[in-house]
Amino acid sequence: MDFSLSEQQEMLRKIARDFFSNELPKTLVKEMAQDARGYRPDLWEKMAGLGWMGLVLPEKYGGSEASFLDLAILLQEMGRACLPGPFFSTVVLGAFTIMEAGSERQKERLLPGLARGELIITLAVAEPNAINSPDCFEVKARKRGDDYIIGGTKLFVPDAHVADCVICAAKTAKGLTLFLVDTKSPGVTCTVLPAMGGERQCEVNFDQVKVSGKDILGEIGRGQYYLDKVLTRAAAAKCAEMLGGAEQVMEMTVAYAKDRVQFGRPIGAFQSIQHHCANMLNDLDGCRCMTYRAAWMVSEGIMCTREVSLAKAWVNEAYRRITALGHEIHGAIAFQHDHDMHLYFKQARVGGVAFGDTAYHGEIVAKALGL
Amino acid sequence: MDFRFTPEEEAFRKEVKEFFGKELPPDWPGVDPDQYHEDAFDHIHEFSKALQKKFAAKGWLGLTWPKKYGGQEAPLWKQMILEEELTYRGTAGYDAYQFLGGCGDIVLEFGTEAQKEKYIPPMCRGEVKWATGMSEPNAGSDLASLQLKADLQGDYFVLNGQKTWQSAAHRADFAPVYCRTDPNLAKHRGISIVIVDYKTPGITMRRLTQMSGLDAFCEVFYDNVKIPKENLLGQLNGGWAVVMSALNHERTYGIQLIVNIKRDLDLLVQYCRETKVNGEPLAKNALLRNRLAEMAIQLEVARTLGYKVNSMVLKGQNPMATANQMKILGGIMTQRVAILGMQILGLYGQLGPVGGNWKQMDEKKDKWARLGGRMKHLYLTTVCNTIAAGTTEVARNGLATMGLGLPREPKPAAPAKK
Amino acid sequence: MDLSFSEEQEMLWKSARDFLASRCPKTVVRQMEEDEKGYVPELWKEMAGLGWLGLPFPERYGGGGFKFLDLAILLEEMGRACLPGPFISTVVLGGMPVAEWGTEEQKKEILPKVCEGKAIMTLALTEPSARYDAGSVKVKAVVDGGDYVISGTKLFVPDAHIADYIVVVARTAEKANPEEGITLFIMDGKSRGVSTFVLRTIAGDKQCELTMDKVRVPKGMVLGKVDKGWEMVKKVIEWGALAKTAEMVGGAQQVMEMTIQYAKDRVQFDRPIGSFQIIQHYLADMSIDVDSSRVSLHKAAWMLSEGIGCTKEVSVIKGWVSEAYRRVTAQAHQIHGAIGFTKDHDLELYYRRAKAGELFFGDADFHREIVAQQLGL
Repeated sequence: MDFSLSEQQEMLRKIARDFFSNELPKTLVKEMAQDARGYRPDLWEKMAGLGWMGLVLPEKYGGSEASFLDLAILLQEMGRACLPGPFFSTVVLGAFTIMEAGSERQKERLLPGLARGELIITLAVAEPNAINSPDCFEVKARKRGDDYIIGGTKLFVPDAHVADCVICAAKTAKGLTLFLVDTKSPGVTCTVLPAMGGERQCEVNFDQVKVSGKDILGEIGRGQYYLDKVLTRAAAAKCAEMLGGAEQVMEMTVAYAKDRVQFGRPIGAFQSIQHHCANMLNDLDGCRCMTYRAAWMVSEGIMCTREVSLAKAWVNEAYRRITALGHEIHGAIAFQHDHDMHLYFKQARVGGVAFGDTAYHGEIVAKALGL
Repeated sequence: MDFRFTPEEEAFRKEVKEFFGKELPPDWPGVDPDQYHEDAFDHIHEFSKALQKKFAAKGWLGLTWPKKYGGQEAPLWKQMILEEELTYRGTAGYDAYQFLGGCGDIVLEFGTEAQKEKYIPPMCRGEVKWATGMSEPNAGSDLASLQLKADLQGDYFVLNGQKTWQSAAHRADFAPVYCRTDPNLAKHRGISIVIVDYKTPGITMRRLTQMSGLDAFCEVFYDNVKIPKENLLGQLNGGWAVVMSALNHERTYGIQLIVNIKRDLDLLVQYCRETKVNGEPLAKNALLRNRLAEMAIQLEVARTLGYKVNSMVLKGQNPMATANQMKILGGIMTQRVAILGMQILGLYGQLGPVGGNWKQMDEKKDKWARLGGRMKHLYLTTVCNTIAAGTTEVARNGLATMGLGLPREPKPAAPAKK
Repeated sequence: MDLSFSEEQEMLWKSARDFLASRCPKTVVRQMEEDEKGYVPELWKEMAGLGWLGLPFPERYGGGGFKFLDLAILLEEMGRACLPGPFISTVVLGGMPVAEWGTEEQKKEILPKVCEGKAIMTLALTEPSARYDAGSVKVKAVVDGGDYVISGTKLFVPDAHIADYIVVVARTAEKANPEEGITLFIMDGKSRGVSTFVLRTIAGDKQCELTMDKVRVPKGMVLGKVDKGWEMVKKVIEWGALAKTAEMVGGAQQVMEMTIQYAKDRVQFDRPIGSFQIIQHYLADMSIDVDSSRVSLHKAAWMLSEGIGCTKEVSVIKGWVSEAYRRVTAQAHQIHGAIGFTKDHDLELYYRRAKAGELFFGDADFHREIVAQQLGL
C-alpha cells in the first residue's frame, strides 16, 4: 500500500496553498460572510484561469482530465483556506451530475462554459419534509406537452442565489427525475437562509416553473440512481474539504500551545494540553487515511459506498472534536470574532450535516456489516 | 497513492490463509495478541508449541532475519502480512514479541556474533520460547527506575532482585533481563541487558492471577543468580539504547490489538442477526445498529492508520509518533468493543468460564453462557490494554512531545528544605 | 433544602462502616465468591442482631421502622465493603413487597423471621429472555383446587438456591395488554419441584437458574391481588434498582478513595503520579461521577421515603450510575496500572461488581427508555 502523493499532486497542493495565502486572507473570508453575493468574482476568474473548474473534466470540454483524488487535494486546500463561493456546488454537484447524467449535447453546451468559470450550477435535493429520504419528496414535475411544470420548495440549496442553473430533483409520474432549470426562469425565487458561517444555502421556490423536456438530465425516472452516485462523491469531496480545515486547526493549535505562556511555561508543557493535542492528532490522521482512501477509490472507479460512509461518519465527528479542542486550548482569545478559529468550528458543523450526517452514514455502515 | 496489495502480497496472504485452514481446527476460538490463554492453559500452550514447529518448517519464524542464522531474509512486507493473518485468526504458536522487536531483533541489533549464532537459530527452528524482563514493582511506566542488581564478579554477573508482570516467564527458556549495573550513574545510564537462561539456579517464579482469572504472568525473583558475562547484550551500561529499540514493538502490538478485535465485532454482528427479542432480531434495534456501526467505523479508521504506519516503516521512515498512535488506539478501541459486547449481551454478558470461549464450560454453571463467555473475558482482560506495553498516558506524552514538538513538562522543583 | 444526614443517620453509617471493616475483610469477600452459599451465617446473625435485616420493616413485626433513605445509607456501606450475601434479595426484593402488600397473616409469618435472620428471601422475575418488561413474563401459574401450580424457568434469580421464600412473578391470565394477568406468589423455597443451580457470573454473586416443575403454592400465599401483580412488580423494580444503586455508590466512593491514595503514594519518574496533570484530571472527573451519583441517589431515596412518586428519579440515577460506576472503576484501573490487574489487589472486586450492578434491575438503556417515556417522548 502506498499512502504518498505523486509529484504532480504535491505540486498542485503547493500551488493551491500559495494561491490562497496570497489571494485569500482571512479578513477577506470574513468580509465575504457579510457580502450579498458571498464571493469575489475576480478571485473566481483567477481560479478559472488556473484550470481548477475544469480540473476533472475531459479535455474536449476544456478540462484537464485530472483524477478525483487530485480534486480532493485541491478541495483540501480550499477547506484550509475557508474558500467561500460556489466552487463546490459548481464543480462537485453541478459538473458531476452533468457528466453522470447529461447527454453529449448537454455536456457540450454546458461544460466548456463551466470550465471557463462562466457558468455557476448547483443541485437542489433536500426539502422541508425530506432531507435524505427521496420517498418523501414533494416537489413535482407535471408533464405538459413537451414541457414540464415544476412546483414546490427545495431547501438548503447551496449558492442558488448566484447560480445560472439549478439541477432540480423532482417527482414525475415515472419517478424522480433531474431537471436543469435556468434560475432566471419565471417562477424561480431564491432566498438566502441565515447562515452559520460564510456558506450560502438557499430556499428555492418553484412556482409553476416551465422546463423544456430537452432540459431533463438523463432518463426520466432515473434521478435517484444519478443522485446516489453524485451524493456519494459529494460526501467524499466534503471530507477532503473538512480535512484541510482540520489540518489547519491542528497546526494553529500546536503553534499556540508552544507560544502561549501561562504559569511560567508554555501551556503546551502541561500534560493535559499535550494529551488534548495527541488526541487531536489521532483524530486528524484518521481523517487523512479515510478521506484519501475514499477519494482514491472514487478515482479508480472502485465501488466504495461503504468506504465513503465510513470516512464521512468519521470525519463528521473527528473534525468536530478537533475544533472543540482547538477552541479549548486557545481559550478566550479564539472565542472572539476577530480570531480565525470559529471559521473552522462553523465549517465543521456545516460540513458535518452536509451530504449525510453521522447517523445517516452509520446506517449505511450497519447495512454493509449485514445487520 | 495506492490502497491495493500487490499480487505478491496477495499470493503470500493466500498461502498463509491456506496454512491456517489446514492447521487450525475449524472452530478455533482464537488466542488474543496478549497470549494470556497460551500462557495460562497447558493444553493451549502444548498446541502452541507444536504449531510453532510447523511455522518453523515453513520458514516463517525469523522471516526477515539473516539466512546465516536460520532466517529467510524475506522482505518486511511479508512479515507484516504474516502477522496480520495470524492475528486475525487468533493463531497460537507465534509470539510476535519474540520475533519482532522484543527479543530476536535486539539480539540481532546489539548482540555479538557468538550471541547471534547461539540464540537466533533455535528461535528460527521453533525450539525455544523467550520472555522479557523489564518491569519491576517500582519500575512500571518509569522503567529507568529499575533496581534489579547485576554485579560483575569475575566471570559472572550476579543478579539480585525482582521482576514482575512478566508475561510467559513460566513458559520461557530465555529472557533479556534489564538490570542495574551502575547505581552511581544517572538512572537510565546505569542499565545493562543480560540474557538469562531461566534454568539458572536461584531463579524462582510466582504465578500471578489476573483479574480475568488467568494466571498468565509471573513475579520472578533473583537470588544470587550467576549469569556468564558473555551474556551481556550490547554495551555495559548501554542498556537504554536497547530499551528504546525494544519499545518500538508497541507499534506492532497496537496494530495487532486492532486486527484481533475484528473477530469480536464479527461475532457481535452475527449474534445480533441471530438473536431475537420479542420476535425481532437485535440487528433491527436502532440503538444497537448505531453503536455497532460506530464501532466498525472506529476500527476501520484505526486499521487504515495501521496500514499507514506499516507503509512508513517499509519506506524507511521513522514511525515513532504513529507507533504511539497505534498503541493508544489499540488499547482504547479494544476496551470499547468489550463494553459494547457486554451491553449487547445484557444480563448474559455476566456468564461464562474463565478465559471465555475455550470450551472449558461447566455443564451447569456455564449452561446459559453466550458466545462461550467471550465477552465477559474480553471485558476483564482488556482493562490492561491501555496499561501493558506502555500506558496510554505515556503514549500520549510521547505523541505530543516527539510527534508534535510540544515542550516537555519542566521537572518539579525540589521540595524546599525546612 | 437540607441535604445533610440526621444524627441517627450519621451513627448508622459510622457503625456500619466500622462493623463491616472488621467483620467483612476482603479475604471473606473472595472466599464467598467460591463458597456455595455465598454468605457467612454467623455474620448474617450478627447483622440481624444489629437490626439491619429488619431496618425498613414496622416495629410490630420485629423491624426498626426506618425509611428507605436509611436503608440506602446502610447499603452504601455494604457496597463499600463488597459485602457478599442475600441482603438486597431478602430485605428489598422479598421483605419489602410482603411488608407493602402482604396480608396480615403473611406479614406475621414471614417478616419476623426475616428480621431475626431466620428466613432468606428473593424475587424471581426475569426469564431466559433476560428482560424486565411485562411481556417477558411467560411462566404460568394455573389454579388447581386450593393451590396454584407453577411450572417454568426463571433465570438470573439472586440467591434462589438458599431462599426460604421466593416471590415468584407468574402469568395467571393471557390478556391483550401483557401488563394484565400477572400475579405474585410467595413460594416456599423447599417446595417439591423447585430446583436451582448457581450460574458462574462475573462478580461471583449467586445468580441462579430456578426451575419449577409443577410447584404448588397455596392460594393463601398469593401476594396482593390476582392478575394485578405488574403494578407491584414495577415498584419492586424501582426499589431493587435504587437499592443496588446505593450499593454501587458506596463502592464508587471507596474506589475513588483508594485511587486518590494510590496516586499520592505511587512514585514514578521521581514524583507521585498524582502530581501529573492528567492523573489529576482523571481524579477530578472521577469525583464528579462519584459526588453527582451520591447526591442523586439520596434525592431518589428521600423521595421514596417520603412517599413521593419518583419513577423518573430512580431511572435517572440507575441509568446514570450504571455507567458512572463503570467509568470510575475503569479509570481507577488505569491509574493503578498493572498492580490493579491482578487478583492480589482489591480493585478488580469493584470492577466486576460495577458490571453486575449495571445490569441489576435494568441497565442504562433500559432506564433511559423509562426516562424518555417520563419526558413524554
